[in-house]
Amino acid sequence: MITQIPLVYYLALAAALFCVGSFGALARRNAIAVLMGIELMLNAVNINLVAFWRYGAADPVVNQAGIVFALFVITLAAAEAAVGLALIIAIYRSRDTVNIEEIDLLKW
Amino acid sequence: MVQNYTLFIPALPFLAFAIIVLLTRKSNRLSALVAITGVVAALVLSYGVFVEALSEGAELSLNPFYGAPIVWAPYGGMSFNFGWYVDPIGAAMLFMVPTVCLMIFIYSTAYMRHSHVDEHGHHHNEDDPRYARFFAYISLFTAMMLLLVISSNLLEFFIAWEIMGFCSYALIGFWSFRGRKEHHIDDAQVGRARAASIKAFLTTRVGDVLLMTGIILLLLTVGTLDFTKMYDPQVMNNMLSATTQPLPGVEWPVLIALLIFCGTIGKSAQFPLHIWLPDAMEGPTPVSALIHAATMVSAGIFLVIRTYPLLTFAQETGGAAMQVVAIVGAFTALFAATMGLAQNDIKRVLAYSTISQLGYMLAALGIGAFVAGSFHLITHAFFKALLFLGAGAVIHAVGTNDMFKMGGLWRKMPITFVTFFIGAFALMGFFPLSGFWSKDEILLEALRGGYFPHEGGQDIFLQVIYLMLAVGAFITALYTGRQIFLTFFGKPRDPEAYEQAHEAPAAMWAPLAVLATFTVFLGFWNSPFAPAFFHFVGETGFMGMGPFEHVEFDQIALSNAFLSVGIALSGFIAAWAIYGFRSVKAGQSDPLAHLGIIWKMLSSKYWLDELYGYKINLDGTAKPGLLIRLVGLVMRFLWWFERAIVDGLVNLAGWFTRLLARLWGWVDSHIVDGLVNATGSVTGEIAGWWRTMQTGNVQNYALVAVAGAMALAILFLLRSFT
Amino acid sequence: MIPYLSLITFIPLLGAIIVLFLPNDKIIKQFAIVWSIIPLILATVAWATMSTWQPPYNFVYNYCGPAIDVASASYTFGECAPWIPVIGIQYHLGADGLSMPLIWLTTLLTTLGLFYSAKVINTRVKEFFALFLLLAVGMLGVFVSLDLFLFYLFWEIGLVPMYFLIGIWGHDTDRPQYAAIKFFMYTLAGSVFMLLGIIALYLYSTPNTFDMTLLAAGQSNMPFGKDVLISSLAFLGFFLAFSIKMPLFPFHTWLPDAHTAAPTAGSVILAGILLKLGGYGFFRVLLPIFPQVSQQWAFWIGVLAVISIVYGSLVAMAQTDFKRLVAYSSVGHMGFVVLGFAAAAALTAEQMTNQNYINSGAAAINGAVLAMISHGVITGGLFFLVGMLYERTHTRELSQFGGFGAQIPVYGALLLLTAFASLGLPGLAGFVGEFMVMQGAYSTLTILAFIGVWGIVFTAAYFLWKVIQRILLGSADERWVKLPDLKGYEILTLAPLAVLMFVIGIFPNWILDSINTATIVILEYMKQI
Repeated sequence: MITQIPLVYYLALAAALFCVGSFGALARRNAIAVLMGIELMLNAVNINLVAFWRYGAADPVVNQAGIVFALFVITLAAAEAAVGLALIIAIYRSRDTVNIEEIDLLKW
Repeated sequence: MVQNYTLFIPALPFLAFAIIVLLTRKSNRLSALVAITGVVAALVLSYGVFVEALSEGAELSLNPFYGAPIVWAPYGGMSFNFGWYVDPIGAAMLFMVPTVCLMIFIYSTAYMRHSHVDEHGHHHNEDDPRYARFFAYISLFTAMMLLLVISSNLLEFFIAWEIMGFCSYALIGFWSFRGRKEHHIDDAQVGRARAASIKAFLTTRVGDVLLMTGIILLLLTVGTLDFTKMYDPQVMNNMLSATTQPLPGVEWPVLIALLIFCGTIGKSAQFPLHIWLPDAMEGPTPVSALIHAATMVSAGIFLVIRTYPLLTFAQETGGAAMQVVAIVGAFTALFAATMGLAQNDIKRVLAYSTISQLGYMLAALGIGAFVAGSFHLITHAFFKALLFLGAGAVIHAVGTNDMFKMGGLWRKMPITFVTFFIGAFALMGFFPLSGFWSKDEILLEALRGGYFPHEGGQDIFLQVIYLMLAVGAFITALYTGRQIFLTFFGKPRDPEAYEQAHEAPAAMWAPLAVLATFTVFLGFWNSPFAPAFFHFVGETGFMGMGPFEHVEFDQIALSNAFLSVGIALSGFIAAWAIYGFRSVKAGQSDPLAHLGIIWKMLSSKYWLDELYGYKINLDGTAKPGLLIRLVGLVMRFLWWFERAIVDGLVNLAGWFTRLLARLWGWVDSHIVDGLVNATGSVTGEIAGWWRTMQTGNVQNYALVAVAGAMALAILFLLRSFT
Repeated sequence: MIPYLSLITFIPLLGAIIVLFLPNDKIIKQFAIVWSIIPLILATVAWATMSTWQPPYNFVYNYCGPAIDVASASYTFGECAPWIPVIGIQYHLGADGLSMPLIWLTTLLTTLGLFYSAKVINTRVKEFFALFLLLAVGMLGVFVSLDLFLFYLFWEIGLVPMYFLIGIWGHDTDRPQYAAIKFFMYTLAGSVFMLLGIIALYLYSTPNTFDMTLLAAGQSNMPFGKDVLISSLAFLGFFLAFSIKMPLFPFHTWLPDAHTAAPTAGSVILAGILLKLGGYGFFRVLLPIFPQVSQQWAFWIGVLAVISIVYGSLVAMAQTDFKRLVAYSSVGHMGFVVLGFAAAAALTAEQMTNQNYINSGAAAINGAVLAMISHGVITGGLFFLVGMLYERTHTRELSQFGGFGAQIPVYGALLLLTAFASLGLPGLAGFVGEFMVMQGAYSTLTILAFIGVWGIVFTAAYFLWKVIQRILLGSADERWVKLPDLKGYEILTLAPLAVLMFVIGIFPNWILDSINTATIVILEYMKQI
């Protein structure tokens, strides 16, 4: 029997993925890239959720909260991507740019 | 039982007044007709009551016709009522007043038409522009005079009295305003009438205020004003039970009686309030006859008659109330006669004569000669109305009041002359005209001591009164003679006026004839041989007073009669010597003007107008006397006081408030508001610095959020380690 | 059981609101006139049927408990409901012989004022008519209120519309703003003191109440008991408010300015009704609630009254402006009302056992109340006459007139009538009240009465000399050749007042009868001193 991959591996992967996503969201100038960063962060969370379900639940067949949450997040991510892209297109149409540093209408 | 309809007597002329004002005022003929119908109806009813009263005879004194069914004004548990009260003297007045009124109404229908020459030189007679209004006023006046005669209490009496005062005012001032097309009066006349009407109303009002005071005090002390209840001896004694004297040394009854008498002084134009009556002659002559000779001024005498029990009561309880009445009356009788001597206006002579004759009545009442005074009231009304109407006919014919522009008129207007002559001889007191009987009686009573409640017999006081009245009688004959000679005899002094003179129309001379008839025969109602008037009025006493004694016709009475006729005759002869023997020429001044300063004094009316009256000049200007100017001074001072002090204080308060407000405004904007503003600006400064955080860049915000999350996580971790 | 008083009071308010929504001036005018007749009719019916409303049927409704039933037995058309129960404020209305004639007069003068204004007011019509109706609400409210809080409320409501009437529609030459502010501030200053008095009454009564009928002496409680200082202070508060409104010397100077500046109908209401609020207060509040203090101060109030009479008439004599003269005549006439109050108040405990004194006290009160009503009728008429003359000549300087008696005879006759009514000619309205006041005054304040009675002569003097002589007498002036006589609507405005002058003067019993019933009740309260 192959020794199971320990939970911490998954968690490390998820953390790494999250950091990549965070960097994308915080540092990229292109709004689409920011959106992609956010997607990455969400997926990192999904990994976490599934991993915790697999390793944490007393009876994985009965207690399926982890995967259910993951499913929710995927749905949400899809919706978010749709709305986000729509917003970006709208902004692009009105301001001719998707550079996030130029979109500063809330500035004092 | 006509007596139950007594209240309709004043109501009918009043109704006529209302109808004229509301309905017929546009039609002169109809208005006159309504007025005369009203007074005729009142006359018929009055005669009915009078006849019924006569049939009661002397009993009427004890049980007068009386009723007071109409509640007029309630107060607490009491009320003032309206009703009627007819006793013998009231009944006699009910005979006199409507008779005289009717005569004057008829006379007025002609008198109030003015002859007028148009541009083609034609004579026209046209109605006075306010013809209907004239009849409305005199109807109202008649109603009120009748109400006064029948009034059942003093308040009702006072109301009628005051409304008559208004009528008097309105009629004296009848020509006090002038439309553009009214040519029968000129501006001077307008000015005189205007001033005279105000003078009349205000002068009498001074008396009326005192009268009102007296009436109220009487009401408060005896508890009622009703003639049937007031003079009950027990009720009268209430006045004495008041704990304090109103003034030191004066009892309530005396004070009240004299206050009420002040009303008489004003209304009957006695000294010192006589000044209004001569000027009141500015009114149309029928008004002078009606109001200022026959009725309204004699209402003052009637007031003394109505309050006679009060006067005698006051006298008995130790005051000199009746002496005051007597002395005022006798003094005025003499005083006014002297002024009458120096008048050139035919009506003013009669006005002073009226004042003087009213003084005779008061003197009679004051010495206790109740019946004589009352009788003179009745006879005087007839012959004085006759004289005024005669004078009016003359004025109407010659167009002037000035006797020095007349003369020789007896040829032109014989009927007027004869009737005037009868009236004048009655006034002088010649046998057997009515004036003789009544005036002689007064002198006789003064000679005997009258029915004076106390002393009886002659004393120095009565001698003085007698002397004044006798001298007054002489002057009366003198000025009346002067009037007759100047007006009717001698050569015409103004040929133009003489030419246009003509006999009065029938509507004017017929009333003269009727009044002259009464003047001739009325005296026999109270001749010493058959004193019916005395039996009717005086025999059984009056309003709770004991019966009056009848004076026997004896030696004293006979000699007194000769004496008084002698006095009158000597006065008349003196007048003839001065004015008749050598008649006054045109432009010549009055022969008596040689008297110098005395004449000046008489013709300026003792300068009383300058002192406290209102001097009205012939050209229509008027000059207030000292007293009035004093009031004017007070008035102007108060107006200054009002603006400068009273209103000044209010405005000062306002100004001071505004000053305070400005002060607080400064404090508010600089200190209180300054603090508030400081808070605001500090907040603004901080905010300006702080807001730079808002970059608008989403990633900055996200970075902060992540950093925050990380900080929280670190904090969490640190906590979980410790 | 119709709630007459509520209807009479609030129908004008409804009218004022409706006026705001009406489209054009003509409809507004017609509506306001017709609408104002409704309260007049109601008041007439109410007055006519008043004597049938005897206890226990004198209430329309009473949700305030049996104590009110007993205390307001002498009032008819009673309405009582708790309003702000926490502090005992009630909606308590009622009328008696004292207030009913004043209510009636208010509705009458409001109708006449609106009728006349419809012809002469042509600027800002909507506001004018709405405010005028609102003014009626304030005045009627004061007369019907039996709760002091309500009384105060209505008292102040009346101020506001009057302020605007003077300020907006006033004559430009007469400093209307100044007059309006003076009027407002002066009256407000007075009513502040009244508010203090009302609060004092509330605090010192047990149980605490604002109800006038409960506070009246001899009812279930006696505020203050023997505490002279507090009761005197409270009395003074009321007295100041009332005597400013009256107005009594020396608080009268707002009056000539306000009267002169106000538009004609405003002056009519001001003189006809607003001044009566003060007089009404004297008899409704001071005599029943403070008989003791009134008695102590009666002489000095009488002194002020007599000064008002003589001073007012002498100052009136000095005027050259017709309207200002009439305004000052009000000072003198209102002095008689206060003198009547003082005369009745001056009755001592000992005199209150003597029927003669009680009767003369009753005469004083009857006379004063009747004097208020007749003054409302007469001075209302005089202000109309002033306004009508001003509309024609555009001047009020007396020296400019002359000879109008011949020129415009109908005007002349009405002016003559009104002037003589005002100077107290018997047979016309002014005399009866004056006489009865003097009757009462002579019994308790003899010396003062004797001074005051000369005011009658001065009044006669200025009316004859200044008004009638200057305007009516003399020769007609060429300048006024084209002067038109009164028109139909003007005669219609004056006719009811002229008729009233005669009717009150000739047969005053129809009013005095109901006043007397109220007077007897007031005297009962006064016996408690």
